[in-house]
Amino acid sequence: MTFFFQNLINALQWGSFYALIALGYSMVYGILMLFNFAHGDIFMVGAYIGFGVATGVTALASFGAIVLPKWLILVLTIIISMFLTSFVGMLVERLGYRPLREAPRASAAITGLMIGIILETGNLALLGAQRVRFPTLIKSETYNISGVFVTNKKIMIVVVSLMLMLALHQFVRRTKWGMAMRAMAFDFVVVPLMGVPINTIAAMTFAIGSALAAAAGILFGVAYPVLDPYMGIVFGWKAFVAAILGGRGSILGATLAGFLLGFLEIFVAMIFPSTLRDLIAYSIILLILTFRPHGFFGEPYSARLRL
Amino acid sequence: MRKSWVFIISCIVISLIFIPSAWCKTKTIKIGINAPMTGDIPKVGEGTKYAAEMWLEDVKAAGGIAVGGKKYPVKLVIEDNESKAESAVKVNTKMITEDEVLVIVGPQASKQAIPAGEVANNYKTPMISPWSTNPDTTKDRPYVFRGCFLDPFQGPVLANFIKGEFGFTKAAVLYDVASDYPKGLAEFFKQAWEKLNGPGSVVAFESFTTKDADFSSQLTKIIKSGAQVLFTPQYYNEVALIVQQAHELGWNKPIVGSDSWGSAETVQLCGKDCYGLFFSTHYAAAGAKGKTKEFIDRYNKKYGYVPDDVAALTWDSLGIVKTAIEHVGKLTGNIEKDRKNVRDAMAKVKEYDGITGKMTFTEDGDPIKCAVIVRISNKGEYEFYKSVCP
Amino acid sequence: MNEEYGKIIGITHSIKRKARSLFSEVPLLGWLFGMLIAVILERYVGEALAESLGLSKIPMLFGVVMMLKNPLMIPSTVLYLFTIFVLPISVVARLISGPANRVAAKLLDLPILISVIIHIGLLYAVLYLWSEASAYRVLTLKLTLIAVILTLSLNVVNGYMGEFSCSHPGFMALGAYAASVFTVVLFVDDKLFGHALLPAALAPFMFPIALIIGGIVAAFGALVIAIPSFRTRGDYLAIISLAFMFIVKSMIENLEVVGGPRGLSSQPDLASLPTVFIWTVACIWVTNNFVRSTMGKALNAVRDDEVAANAMTVNTRRTKITAFLFAAFWAGVAGGLFAHVLRYVNPGTFGLQKLAEVLAMVYFGGLNSVYGSIVGGVSLSMLGEALRPLEIFKWIIIPLLLILIMIYRPTGLVAFKEFNVGKLVMPKNKSDQRKSDGAASG
Repeated sequence: MTFFFQNLINALQWGSFYALIALGYSMVYGILMLFNFAHGDIFMVGAYIGFGVATGVTALASFGAIVLPKWLILVLTIIISMFLTSFVGMLVERLGYRPLREAPRASAAITGLMIGIILETGNLALLGAQRVRFPTLIKSETYNISGVFVTNKKIMIVVVSLMLMLALHQFVRRTKWGMAMRAMAFDFVVVPLMGVPINTIAAMTFAIGSALAAAAGILFGVAYPVLDPYMGIVFGWKAFVAAILGGRGSILGATLAGFLLGFLEIFVAMIFPSTLRDLIAYSIILLILTFRPHGFFGEPYSARLRL
Repeated sequence: MRKSWVFIISCIVISLIFIPSAWCKTKTIKIGINAPMTGDIPKVGEGTKYAAEMWLEDVKAAGGIAVGGKKYPVKLVIEDNESKAESAVKVNTKMITEDEVLVIVGPQASKQAIPAGEVANNYKTPMISPWSTNPDTTKDRPYVFRGCFLDPFQGPVLANFIKGEFGFTKAAVLYDVASDYPKGLAEFFKQAWEKLNGPGSVVAFESFTTKDADFSSQLTKIIKSGAQVLFTPQYYNEVALIVQQAHELGWNKPIVGSDSWGSAETVQLCGKDCYGLFFSTHYAAAGAKGKTKEFIDRYNKKYGYVPDDVAALTWDSLGIVKTAIEHVGKLTGNIEKDRKNVRDAMAKVKEYDGITGKMTFTEDGDPIKCAVIVRISNKGEYEFYKSVCP
Repeated sequence: MNEEYGKIIGITHSIKRKARSLFSEVPLLGWLFGMLIAVILERYVGEALAESLGLSKIPMLFGVVMMLKNPLMIPSTVLYLFTIFVLPISVVARLISGPANRVAAKLLDLPILISVIIHIGLLYAVLYLWSEASAYRVLTLKLTLIAVILTLSLNVVNGYMGEFSCSHPGFMALGAYAASVFTVVLFVDDKLFGHALLPAALAPFMFPIALIIGGIVAAFGALVIAIPSFRTRGDYLAIISLAFMFIVKSMIENLEVVGGPRGLSSQPDLASLPTVFIWTVACIWVTNNFVRSTMGKALNAVRDDEVAANAMTVNTRRTKITAFLFAAFWAGVAGGLFAHVLRYVNPGTFGLQKLAEVLAMVYFGGLNSVYGSIVGGVSLSMLGEALRPLEIFKWIIIPLLLILIMIYRPTGLVAFKEFNVGKLVMPKNKSDQRKSDGAASG
């Protein structure tokens, strides 16, 4: 039983990352009907920005300019990086996606893919091949709860990501902007005619998605403190799976699918030989989609491609 | 219409006359470097390139490589193989047929070295892969050499070391199933360990896939299995994550690694978690003496970090290449003949005294060299612990 | 200021018009003949010319590598290209346009197949002579042709049927492994599969069978995707196919029989240039006919509106399954060729990187277009080779270029264009055209 709970805790942490990244994916996807294949790399950029901010703030603190406890540095890092990365997201939208709004969606997907490659290579060219270590912002403490090992990091990661998801949910449900987004997701053609500024909404969607990716990047850095320019690729594609599995543009769906993917990967490795993890985990997803062809919360009609 | 044709043709004729027709060609020795500058393991490419450039500096300072009393200038042709098999093959073909290199150093990873070695062997061009540990790279290929020891040697070394040092009987292994180096080594270790301690003594044999960052479910299984030691032949970036997560999940027994740990980045990325752990490698950076220390200090000064095993092995491979070229006796100018001579000279290299140990090639083109067991000290340095020779 | 500008525009326009009128009557036959002369010229005087221009050797991929490496070489490289390629091709093509038109017209009197075969034969002669200069050209050419097959087959699903399939590397892997296992078991003494079962002399004859087996295995794999595609489309199918790709890769990694992650090596050297060329031509021909048949129109109908297509008696299920099997078959063939060109495969090759590459080729070249696939496959693989000297920055320049293409031509360079073989081999001047009109339309 402890074995099971241990894996449950592990899966919760792993699923949080998928869920956070899938959320950004899902929002863009829901509102603009775009595969934002650059999202995984925005996650990478977010992690690197977080690394820069954390190093900067820590350096400031160590020079005695400001006196800050470590956890406050982490909070500051998350907030500043989310803010900065949201600009990266908006830039990507402005340069890569806006000119393509009338084009077939697949073309925009290719643009995203290419922006991703540029971000990766740009990082490689700028910072060199050295992997960087994310600074230790919170001291790891391990609690042994009757055989199940839980670290303060794990708790923090799960709590912070759940809070962010809840905040996003509230934003979309309660605010005027959120309403505009939902309207846009409902009908992409007519709603802009009713006076909803499509460009602002699109930029905002990208900004929020990127900010969430940045948060995920920093939490990732806290949990797995090794960053490299290509770390976003696999995450990006897997989050793509989660976002669509959840159903088009559904925040709840993306969250659930993200956690599901995390649970699948962890639990398959727990039960079967871990060699077969990808094989079994993705076969399950294939089966789910065969029997629920429109994801968890998706509507059939939305699955039409514009081309 | 006719006017324009006349104009064009006269232009060509004039330019043909004015361009110096015979540019005197100096005979240079070209050495190809086939390295993964982009793709999965850019760090490996960077180390290769830096070591090669440093080596070139030395050669240039000496005025080139002396063959038969004459000094030839050396040129490096560094190409990126994008960490892809087909690209490595293209690069090798290009360097051999286009750039007419005399020798190729690289590719590093076996995934590229195996197909690229085929090309080099077909075109009868000597190639030395500094880092590829897969037996297939050099097998039945007289023109292909390598600069490192093989997995079948390293596995037993580690098994014997753990048994002798700690007296354990139950081991766990965690490795990357999608990457051939860790997988091969993990299997050789398992074999050797079960030979020592009987079947079933590897109590957990767990794997993951390249680019994974979370190993918690595998580690949970390993901890539950009651293993006394964890062996993980992984690359430095994964080592940092594995060790840290193992400690977070309550593992406090030893973790042992292989030569892929031997990068300065291991400690940099892993921090205190890695202190006190053991691994086997080609050379020990801390406490190194003589040439090895000289190399490390120079590299560190130049590029700002302690060189990893790739850099050291590339350095040694280039050294072997240089020795072989020097022993050729005479460069005929006929590239095919020269390549053959260099290959023969390389096969005859005896007891080459490199910074990663003394090397002599077997018939397959694999070096016989010693492995070093290193302990990561409490200051984060790699301390020499003991040396194991075949 | 404005006047001058207008003047310049006028001059360029008149030059353009002149050039167009100069070459408008040159048939394909003439062009091919010009190229033939150019490559023969390169073969015999290329080296001497290169040397006298101060180039260290013949510029391999049209001099781009040389120019990027050493900008000082630009004038002499351009001059070389001009004298060896541009000038002979244009002069010869223009000079023989008269006879060439007549020959083309004559050929059209015969069955069109003969004319096509002659054209293809000429094309092969050009490619052969061009690539003979160095092994590097041969290898690049082979991989480029394979890329064309791959692009074309993906275009059937992504362009004509309008799905977003991400499974092509998976199909390719299946084909590569199936064909490799077949040839290695039969013709190679291997430590995995033991002794060769058949003498190696038979290998070239059995190679087509190996490729077809590769294609069929890949097509079987495609059923996994085709069947869910009955019930779902677009985005959901995209991730089904993505999952399929992960599954194939993971499965091969776990199959110790074929070497697992270490890969499978020592395939016999069977994929020679003529083999690859013939298979590529066959793929283009079959695909071109496929997409122009009623089946191709059915694909477009399914893409544009599935429900409406169904109502118009298009059997959507059969259409979808055929398209998937067809595309997977050719991807499998491409994989088999790929494995035998490199003579080594490992599962890591068929991952996300490959996927990005193939997708880029399809959308760069143009959706729904046989021409486009050829353009996309050729230009991206050549570009990747030619921009090598830029090192890391290659991977900034190429994506940037692709983004620009996507912005200015959202459906790709040459979208919605199929081969019309009859038109292609037709004579280009009016009188001969009229004469052979009956033959071409018939």
